[in-house]
This record gives sequence, structure tokens and C-alpha cells, in this order.
Amino acid sequence: METITINSVPGFDEWRMAARACLAQAIPPENIIWQSAQSVQDDLFGHSQQPIATTKPQKQHAIPKAVLMLFKYALCHSDAHRFALCYRVLWRVMFENKHLIRLKTDDDIMQLMTLAKAVKRDAYKMSAFLRFREVNLDDNEHFIAWYEPEHFSLELKLDFFQNRFKNMRWSILTPYRAAHWDTETLRLEDNPDSSVVPDDDHIEKYWLTYYANIFNPARIKKEAMLSSMPKKYWKNMPETSLIDDMIKQSDARARKMIKDGRK
Amino acid sequence: MHDKLIQKLEILSDAAKYDASCASGSAGKRKAGKTDKTGIGSLTGGSGICHSFTPDGRCVSLLKILMTNYCIYDCHYCINRVSSSVRRARFSVKETVDLTLNFYKRNYIEGLFLSSGIVGSPDLTMESMVRIAKSLRLDHGFKGYIHLKTIPNASPELQEEAGLYADRLSINVEMPTQPSLNKYAPEKDLGAIHGSMNTLKDKIAEHKTDKTYSGKRLPRFAPGGQSTQMIIGADDSNDKVILGTSVKLYNQQKLRRVYYSAFSPIPDASEVLPLKPAPLIREHRLYQADWLLRFYGFTLDEIVHDDMLDMDYDPKLAWALRNRHVFPVDLNKADKLMLLRVPGLGARTVQKILAIRRHTKLNWIDLTKMRLPLKKLKPFISVGDYAPDIHLLDSNNFELQFKQPKQFELFSA
Repeated sequence: METITINSVPGFDEWRMAARACLAQAIPPENIIWQSAQSVQDDLFGHSQQPIATTKPQKQHAIPKAVLMLFKYALCHSDAHRFALCYRVLWRVMFENKHLIRLKTDDDIMQLMTLAKAVKRDAYKMSAFLRFREVNLDDNEHFIAWYEPEHFSLELKLDFFQNRFKNMRWSILTPYRAAHWDTETLRLEDNPDSSVVPDDDHIEKYWLTYYANIFNPARIKKEAMLSSMPKKYWKNMPETSLIDDMIKQSDARARKMIKDGRK
Repeated sequence: MHDKLIQKLEILSDAAKYDASCASGSAGKRKAGKTDKTGIGSLTGGSGICHSFTPDGRCVSLLKILMTNYCIYDCHYCINRVSSSVRRARFSVKETVDLTLNFYKRNYIEGLFLSSGIVGSPDLTMESMVRIAKSLRLDHGFKGYIHLKTIPNASPELQEEAGLYADRLSINVEMPTQPSLNKYAPEKDLGAIHGSMNTLKDKIAEHKTDKTYSGKRLPRFAPGGQSTQMIIGADDSNDKVILGTSVKLYNQQKLRRVYYSAFSPIPDASEVLPLKPAPLIREHRLYQADWLLRFYGFTLDEIVHDDMLDMDYDPKLAWALRNRHVFPVDLNKADKLMLLRVPGLGARTVQKILAIRRHTKLNWIDLTKMRLPLKKLKPFISVGDYAPDIHLLDSNNFELQFKQPKQFELFSA
């Protein structure tokens, strides 16, 4: 029985190296215990393990690109079982059916898809709901955001933020890691200090004004809003502080619209 | 202290909320180049990100505002018509540009959706709108999304210039027929609107394929294409007329999107208008039908049996109920076009079924794992280990099981 500990988060590169080594030595999935550094710390009786030899494996396995793409997302999930699941799928793709991922109703594939889908959605929501606030830092405009992704989604969106805000100085802070961009290089920092995040921004009042006026009080569809923007995201989105009042007043506003219409 | 810009923003975003086409369409990918030291923004391909949602369930993707709500026209359905007593305001070019950039930098929006009332003349209005787009692109290197609602009757030169800076252009047809337009928007002319659409269609096609003499590609021209909007339920046009107009717009003018907006009461409304709002369910059914026409291979005559769509059943289910003889469909054998016609199977599910079928036979358990709407699907399909009772489809009152209890929300306005 092999025990492999992935020390980094999300752990994609580390897992990939270890998985390649295991595959080269043909170690079946049921003979490996995968764990993350976090789960080891929790285990008081954890015993030290030998790192698996990562010398060049005898045989290079070509892993299909579509499979790797799925792993890339699934491995950013916060579920500690992700490493074992990905290795099991990898094993089955190699030795059982190279088209395995097309079998959308296979139990392993379904699990993998569920993880990947959750991460994709989480990462998308990050690019959507993250809000920058402006501060003056060393005489430069600097934009700071605090965001709490459900999974390890920051690394999946770094390209997006660098492309979109290439010539801006910005910092994105999450509970597990921060990314700082100075228009040329990216610096990562683990466990950042959230106290540097400003609690106001001079443009926010315009955004709130816009948000309150762009909605049509004659068509309340609260459930539709909640399914796309669940409450767990609200605390870092300034405009959500208006929602309760907007809904409360909507009926009166809609009635007024109709009444005024009949004048 | 109530600053002036806030007041303007209140008026000019409130005035824009009646426009349904809020989403940013796909206009390809774009970002600031390596040597670009000032530009901002990107397009990620696909439809734009929804940065927030309002309590009406709508996605907030763009800064959707009117440049001004002053207007010399008198369109009856429009809150900004000249005879209405609403508060009026106007943004300057700089204010609009700054607001867009400031919102964009904070990750509130994907870009700008700019529409306008008509001030002075159509050309003067259009010129200011083009200046806003031009300033964003050239002065600030803005790579985000820009949608301009072009002004009917503005000169072709201005419309062409708009296409150089905008990702998408649109002109609202507003009413499906000329007689309705005469009645509700006396200054608008369907022929002129279609004429503008045709000019833009040709330009879009030209810039996509043609090259200059030196072999360079022409600059981008409205890569996201054109869209339009029709107001539903203000006039008496039936669904067949409305969808017929859409089909023409899709086929002849190559429009990317036709939006339907159920007429909703506006403050200070004109007397020509109906007092009651159009039911939202009708708007919903029109969108469903529009989708089936574009992506599911249905023809107009198949979808609209009488002059109106069925409000009780979605248009695909309604078609299936009228054509029970073609069911049940064997999911292991039917071709793609037939699978797309099965109630409860969407385009994505059909892709999945086709992929699975290449490797293994589909059984009932596979359907449950795909989380399909089994109750709806059941009478219309067969798989390896399941076939419906052959009398089921022809049984009395078979269709009643699909009738949804009336939802208050969908009917209230």
C-alpha cells in the first residue's frame, strides 16, 4: 500500500507528477491512499511516508487532453477525495477504455463531472461577482478585492484577470492565497492579511444608483435571481444591500406606474 | 448632498430598463496586446459574464443607459416620447466614457449598452453616440463590449462609423407590421429600418471576408452582428405574424437575436395604449418558439398551429401532442433531428445521448443518471429496457397531465 501526500493547494502539478510515477510503476488505484497536507495535519497518529520515486518513469503514458482538462478543474475542488478519484479515472482510461469520459453515466465519470462542474461554476462566479475597490498606494491607483471562493478557484482565473486588467495594479485576496499584479509580474502570497481590504470606494454609490434603477419593479422574480446569485455571494457585493428594500417597495412602485399610466 | 451625476444616472438608467436586450452577445475574443501599456479590457468569447442579478431575475452585464431621454419623436409605447412628462437628462460624452471605465475597472460590467432619445436630429444624436464609442476605443484602448442602438434615419456614413467601434449594433423594429408602426410610432418607417439593417448586414459580411489590396484583413466591424426588439401585446399582431417577422429578420437581415418585450405599463402612458400589461407567459412562449426555429429545425407552420401559441404547453410539447403518431421515439436509433423533437430533451442532452450511443446501449437507468425530466419524457420515448404502454399516447385527456397549474408570478405583471 502506497500513501501519497499532496502538500500544495490545489495540487494539480504535484498530483500529476505522482500520478505519472504511479502509472509508470503500474500501481493500481486500490493500492494507493491519497491525502492532502490538511488531512495529514488533522491525523494525530499520522506516520511519515516515503515520497514515491519521481524519477523518470520507464514508460511515458500519453494522457488524452480532454481528460487532463477535466482533471484540471476537478483537482481544484475542495473535496479531499479528488486525488483518489482522478487517479482511478486515469487508470481506467489507460487500461479499461480510452473513451471512458464519453460515458456520461459511468459512476466515476459522473462524480468527476460533478466536481469539475462545481469548480467551473465557482470560478465563473469569481470572475463575475468579485468587486475591486480603489486605493492610493505609492501614488498609484491600486485595486483591491476580497473574495471567498468555495473551491481553489483563484488559480483558474488568474489569466482572466491579467488579460482583462493588464495595465491596472491589483490585488485579489482569498482566504487561502492572494495574487498581486503590478502590470508586469504576478506574485502569489499564501494566507494573506485581509485587513488591507478597503471598506469603501468612491464609485460605489454610482453603481448602487445604477443597480436600483435598472430593475423593473413590475416583474419581481426573486427565485430566478437567487438561483443565479445565491445569498452566499452577497456579502462581498455592495449592491446586494439594496435588494430587500427594492423588493419591499416594488409592489407600490409597480402600482404607481399603472396608476400614473391611467392619468 | 445629491450630486448631479447621480441624478442623471437615476433618470437615464431608469429610462433604459424597458429594453430587453441586456445581454452581451458573442463577438469573439479580444485583449490588450503585449506592447499595449494603457488599454483595458477583454472579451472572453461566448456570451458575456453576468456580473450581478436584479430582483426581476435579469442579468446585469452591461452599463445599459440612455445618452439622453430628450426625444423629438412621439412613439406611444415609449416613456420618453416628446409628449410625456418624465424628468429629462443628458450625459456628456466624457461622463459616459468615465462612468463606463470606472465601472469596468471595478469588475461591475462587461461594457456599455448605449441607446438614446433623439435630440436635434437623428444625425446629431448618432454622431454623439459614435463619439462615445470612439473615445472609449481610441483614447482609452477599451477592449470591452460596446453595443450601440443605432438611430433610425441616421446617415449611412454614421452607421458605418459606428460599426468600426461597436461590437454589436441594433435597431428596434418595435412593431411587427407597418400598420402597427403607423399607429404607435408615426415617425418610424419599417422600410427604412430594414434598409439600415441591410446596409449593416452587407458591411458586416464584407469586413468578415474581404481583404485590402495589400492583403490585410479589413478592421473589425460589429463582429457581434445585429439584434432587434419587438414589443408584444401593445398592438393586436398575433404570434404567427410576430414569429414570421422574426424568421424574415433571421434569414434576410442575418440578425443574431430578436428580443421580445411584453408590453408593460409605463408612467404617463399615451391613450392609444392598452391599459393592461401583456402576460409574461406570452413573451416566454415566444422566446421558446424562437429558440425552436433557430436551433431545433422546426418550421414556423409546425410551431404555430393556429394564429397563437398555446399558453398551456411549451411549443415543443404542443407540437408533440399534435403529432402523437411519430412517438414513441427509440433513443437508441432515432437520428439527431428526431431526438431534438422529443419533449424534455434539450440540445445538450441530445449531444450526450449521441456520444453515449456510440459506445453502449441506453437503458432506463442511464436516463435517471442524466437527471432528465422523466415524467415528461416517459410517454414519448423508448430505450433498451423500457417502452411506454402503446395506448397511453392515445388515451383520453392524455395532455392534461402536462398542464401546469397557473403560476401567479408568470401572469402577474
